Amino acid sequence: MKRRKFLTLAGGAAGAALAGAKAGAAPAVEEPATEFYGVLVDTTRCIGCRACEVACSVEHGNDVPDVEHDGALAELRDTSERQWTVVNRFETERGEMFVKKQCMHCWQPACTAACLTNAMYKTREGPVIWRSGKCMGCRYCMVSCPFDIPKFEYDAWNPKISKCTMCAERLALGQKPACVEACPTDALMFGMKRELMEIARTRIYSHPGRYVRQIYGEHEVGGTGWLYLAAVPFEQLGFRTDLGTTPYPEFTRDFLYGVPVVLFGLPALLLGLNLLAERRTQP
Amino acid sequence: MSAEPLPLDPRPSVPERSFFRFLLGELRPRGKWLTPFNLISIPVILLGVGILVVRFIYGLESVSNLNQAYPWGLWKGFNVITGVAFAGGAYVITFVVYVMRLDKYEPIVRATVLNGLLAYVFYAGALILDLGRPWNIINPVIGNSFGYNSVLFLVAWHFMLYMVAECIEFSPVVAEWAGWRRVRRVLHSLTLGAVIFGITLSTLHQSGLGALFLMAKPKIHPLWYSEFIPILFLASSIPAGLSMVIVEGTLTRRAFREQLIPAGDRAHEEIVLGLAKGACIALFVYYFFKALLFVHEHQWSYLGSPWGWWYLLEVVGLVLVPCVMFAYAVRHRRLGLVRVAAVLTLLGIVMNRLNVSVIAFNWNSPATYHPSWEEYVVSLTVVFAELWVFRWIVRRMPVLRASPAASRGE
Amino acid sequence: METYTYVNIFETKGLEYLLLISFLVLFVVLVRYLRGNADTANRH
Repeated sequence: MKRRKFLTLAGGAAGAALAGAKAGAAPAVEEPATEFYGVLVDTTRCIGCRACEVACSVEHGNDVPDVEHDGALAELRDTSERQWTVVNRFETERGEMFVKKQCMHCWQPACTAACLTNAMYKTREGPVIWRSGKCMGCRYCMVSCPFDIPKFEYDAWNPKISKCTMCAERLALGQKPACVEACPTDALMFGMKRELMEIARTRIYSHPGRYVRQIYGEHEVGGTGWLYLAAVPFEQLGFRTDLGTTPYPEFTRDFLYGVPVVLFGLPALLLGLNLLAERRTQP
Repeated sequence: MSAEPLPLDPRPSVPERSFFRFLLGELRPRGKWLTPFNLISIPVILLGVGILVVRFIYGLESVSNLNQAYPWGLWKGFNVITGVAFAGGAYVITFVVYVMRLDKYEPIVRATVLNGLLAYVFYAGALILDLGRPWNIINPVIGNSFGYNSVLFLVAWHFMLYMVAECIEFSPVVAEWAGWRRVRRVLHSLTLGAVIFGITLSTLHQSGLGALFLMAKPKIHPLWYSEFIPILFLASSIPAGLSMVIVEGTLTRRAFREQLIPAGDRAHEEIVLGLAKGACIALFVYYFFKALLFVHEHQWSYLGSPWGWWYLLEVVGLVLVPCVMFAYAVRHRRLGLVRVAAVLTLLGIVMNRLNVSVIAFNWNSPATYHPSWEEYVVSLTVVFAELWVFRWIVRRMPVLRASPAASRGE
Repeated sequence: METYTYVNIFETKGLEYLLLISFLVLFVVLVRYLRGNADTANRH
């Protein structure tokens, strides 16, 4: 009986350790520090020409909108699996405003933390991309994204997750994202987030009445790659301002950190209870 | 083990004939074909299989109402997330029988483990049906892509390891059925280890299913979102599992009457009352936890809205009410009332899991979702298919009736 | 625009402690109520 107990305990502990090694938090890897790129969107400069939408779709083989005739600005639109960015029009107290919507390329993306196959991946330069070969279509990234950005090809037998990639392939060639390149009014500015923050702050302080004193994306969800400046409070432009400043992966941190504790502690506790119970039932 | 002689297995011991011929014999169908269950389940299963063929050719949109705002629907919300809560009976009962050595519950442990194992297998199957690219499910398994940072990665791995543990727990029954006596002895010695492993895994993936929604904070209605969702899911999986054992036990004892011994009825009554006690206490604790969160998160401000009424229905109507019912029924030995309370508890769990994953999800978005008829059919298909396998096993293996080894005193 | 206001995260703590104490008391009551059946049965 004693040897059997030892074997079951050893087996249980080995199994728990194995599961703990697989499921426990991985140690932080030391990588050379890289700066993230981002895009500054100045909504006071946007004229709603939607050249960015056209350039994006042309670049990636998506549905190219007919900006002259489709009248799409009449209602609020969301991005789709075949159109990775849209421009929406808002009537505000300071007139007509246009806001470009696309993936925010968060510093600590919820989608990347959610993805169990590492298909959603934050590159070192900043863009958050989707890697086809790994994805199994579980759509957990869609559940987790606070901006509801990833779109799924429900009508395909081999569906993709579809969203703005900040033209990662173009960045690798030293080019700017297609939308930035196409913007005629410099409403979109590409650069390192650090530099864009400086530019944004400078614009706010240099033109006191022109902007709301907030750079959307500075602190939201722990900071995003895409930053916005606006002339009116951001709620009026369709932005969610209740997302908090905690990076979203941190919401699961306590749970994931607790896993090894349970995996080591619970088998020991259960075996202890069992030994106590055995002693009680033995006459 | 017990003093009374238990009925012996009438079949000849298997070493005298080859296992292959034995298996062929076992594969022959038994029982009547025209039962109400068969008449309902066979058309549903056939229809479900047809729907799935369409789904794999034309994509999820052709058979479901899933959309960009509602990526998870009935299959994930009910078959996977609720189904796993219902299968929680296995880890509770094995804890009680094998860890705490309460032999009173031994007669039901085999059926409970079998149900748990089949539930996980079929609900993992339902998950695979819901994936966009099911063939890539091997990626997080074979080491091609370990997404350590993902709660879903943990849930997936624990699912798989738990099925292994349950297989080990159930394997002595298979060995008895096949007559492999030495194998059975070896497997039996692994039981405690498998049970301890299984309880640990269950704890983590029951709470893990709740942890999946931690990052959806701005998208789930405040009455259902909390940083403690993992603990709430774990806590509610206990009464869910116990209630399922009560309901399932009632149904199987009626369906497989011919396998039971008359003396077992009295013992089963005591078992049900014991389970009801456990469910009562678990619901009580869960209710107070919800009350604590209600106060802590200032949730009373939401009570005026329709969501508030829906919340009260779930927490008061389907948690507190069955808790009180269980208490009264145990005290006055009212078995019928116990079963009613168990059904109410199960309804409450379904409601809670669906609320968190689908109904109260993206509640502030203009988009809506309700399952298509095809989704309902496939959901039922998965459940019916599981029941078919359950029936096949129970009719042939010593799950409900005493095992030959036990009757020989091994 | 940032505003700076007083936030008390322990606002409901008093009520929570009361809730916990009543839970513990009621828990003992409940277990005794459930066990009452067993005690009377064992006397036979």
